[in-house]
Amino acid sequence: MIGNDLVDLKLAAKQSNWQRKGFLDKLFTPIEQEYILNSDNPFKTVWLLWSMKESAYKAYLQMHNERFFAPKNLTCNLTSKNKGTVLINNTLFFTESEIGEAFIYTVAFTKNHENKFLTDCFRFEHLDFKNQQSQTYQKVLAAFANKLKLPVAQLKIKKNGQDVPQLIQGKMLLNHSFSITHHGQFGAFCIGD
Amino acid sequence: MEKEVLITALKKIVKPYIQDEEAFENLSENTDFIKDLKINSANLVDVILDVEDEFDIIVDNESMEKMLTVKAALEIIETKLSEK
Repeated sequence: MIGNDLVDLKLAAKQSNWQRKGFLDKLFTPIEQEYILNSDNPFKTVWLLWSMKESAYKAYLQMHNERFFAPKNLTCNLTSKNKGTVLINNTLFFTESEIGEAFIYTVAFTKNHENKFLTDCFRFEHLDFKNQQSQTYQKVLAAFANKLKLPVAQLKIKKNGQDVPQLIQGKMLLNHSFSITHHGQFGAFCIGD
Repeated sequence: MEKEVLITALKKIVKPYIQDEEAFENLSENTDFIKDLKINSANLVDVILDVEDEFDIIVDNESMEKMLTVKAALEIIETKLSEK
C-alpha cells in the first residue's frame, strides 16, 4: 500500500499554530515532541512528522477501511533527515520526504512498494479547493492511462465511503494502490507499482 | 445543555476551519468534519482544543479517535459534561 501527504508551509503557518497550548500533546508522542523541540527548525519538523503520519494513515486506510483520528497511535521514527518509519497497529510503513522551502511532501509505503512507485508534485494556478481536487484527479488519471495503456476517457476516480479514492474503468474497480494530496499551492499523487 | 444549543456552539467553533461553505450551511448531526466540511486533518486538533476550551472539558485520546462527525462530537461533549 502507498499513501502521500503534502503540506504547503506558508499555508500551514497561517492555518495552524503549532505552539498553541495542547497542540503538540494531542498530535505527537513524547519521543516525537523531543524530535521537534530539539530540531534546528521545530516548525518544519512538526510538519515533516505530521506528513509522515498522514501519508502512512492514508496507506493504512486502504487496508482497513475504517477512519479514525488518533495521531498519537501512529508513531514516527526518523532514520535520516528525510526518511523514517511510521508504525500503525503493527503495520510498518516506510516514509520518504521532500523537505523544501515551500512545502514538505511525504510518500509512505509498505515494504513491497519500496523503490516501486511513481510520484509527481505540482503547483496550482488556482487556489479553489474543488478545482484543485479535480486538477489532481486529472493528473493521476493521465498517469494511470499512460501506465496501463488505456484511454484516459475510460478511467475515473471515485471515493469510497471511507473517503479513499479508487480507480474505476467503466464500471470496474481497478485494484491499484494510489494516493492524492493537495494543500495550498501544491498538489501531488503517487501510484504504487 | 440542549442539543440545539450544542450544535450552535459547535458550528461557531468549526467555522474558521471549514473549506466547504455549502456543507457548513447545511450542517446537521450527520455532517462529517473532513469528508463534508473539508476541514484539514491538522485543524481537527484545533476543533478539539476549541471544544475543550469552550466547554471546559478534556477530550481524551480514546474519545478523540471517534470525533470525525458532528454526531460523535455532540455525544462526547454531552458525556464529558455529564461527568463534571
